[in-house]
Amino acid sequence: MPSRTRPIEKFAQAVAKCSTEASLYGKCIVADYNSVHKDQCLTEFLRLKRCYMAAAKKT
Amino acid sequence: MKPATLRPFLPRPAIRRRGLIHRNYAVQAPGNPTLQVFDRHAKYLQKERAAANVERSRQVDYLKDEVALRLTERLLDINRTFNHVLDLGANACNIARAVTLPDPDIDPSKPTSPPLSSRIAHLTAADSSRAMLYRDADLPFNQEINLTREVLDDEERLPFEGNTFDAVLSSLSMHWINDLPSVLAQINHVLKPDAPFMAAMFGGDTLFELRTSLQLADQERRGGVSPHVSPLADVRDMGGLLQKAGFKMLTVDVDDIIVDFPDTFALMQDLQAMGESNAVLGREAGPIKKDVLLANEGIYRELHGNEDGTIPATFRMIYMIGWKEGPNQSQPLPRGSGQINIKDILGGGEVK
Repeated sequence: MPSRTRPIEKFAQAVAKCSTEASLYGKCIVADYNSVHKDQCLTEFLRLKRCYMAAAKKT
Repeated sequence: MKPATLRPFLPRPAIRRRGLIHRNYAVQAPGNPTLQVFDRHAKYLQKERAAANVERSRQVDYLKDEVALRLTERLLDINRTFNHVLDLGANACNIARAVTLPDPDIDPSKPTSPPLSSRIAHLTAADSSRAMLYRDADLPFNQEINLTREVLDDEERLPFEGNTFDAVLSSLSMHWINDLPSVLAQINHVLKPDAPFMAAMFGGDTLFELRTSLQLADQERRGGVSPHVSPLADVRDMGGLLQKAGFKMLTVDVDDIIVDFPDTFALMQDLQAMGESNAVLGREAGPIKKDVLLANEGIYRELHGNEDGTIPATFRMIYMIGWKEGPNQSQPLPRGSGQINIKDILGGGEVK
């Protein structure tokens, strides 16, 4: 393995800390996945993203 | 009354040219596919890049090794020795490795059989990516088989003479070919009469989880979709294609391999390390946006995720066998000529 951590790995680690938010967002999409439109689950997504940003800062 | 015509007023050459057009049939020039789906050059670069990281590339060979094994296992059913075999789209010579494994027969009740390589006098492994092809050139299995590596300029144009090979194998490479009918016809051409062609490729529902969740993520985040997973051939199409290319006695079957990954990023990193990242023409330039990846992780897990927190990725293999027409080849019996009810043999539908 290369010694430095790839950006995608850091990303994955940060996202892994937000499983609750990710699951809520996923549920919102899956609830009605036949007619998904832009920003349908914006609030859930922003919550997920905020969590990710916080987690990414810590590491 | 005759309709008015411009003919008398046209200059002579124009009239003559029209006559010529009438005499020509619409022929598709060989090697010039009308439909381009994949960016072959991008695919070449991805493979070269993937093979450059030897260690990582070997780590993700689990899928190619497994499929090569399952494909070459079918060679056991053909009671022949092969003088010259072509491995088309060899990747890292996974087929060569698979045929050198000792005792390929998985049935423990049968006596051990010698490795398949003892029945192959000469194997030519051809691929367009030099780095991928020569990645394992110094591993011990190379000594156990008479292996030649050949770098192709383009896998869609085979540089071999007609009637050269006693068998053509291809494992996990044909799903990147644009003009499948033409390549199949070329394979049929380079085979000797009554020689088999055996291939495994990704088909239809491969990575449907990733395809659907990325579509949903794209749709919700950006209001539209862009292709992330290749369009793939269907099982039903392959039979027709093989038949059109002139193969006889076709066998096509499917096999799902489901791999569990910890998260979507691990899946995508592995695909990249395999050299199997997206190479669809008309894909977006640059990597997938972080927002979409973030959304994708949530949707994939919710829509397809396993109970234990892993995510499944389905790889649907299409295995196909076709034989080049030859003299004294056994022929399929005409439809409806069967005399024995298969139910009598199998025992009334009970599975034992």
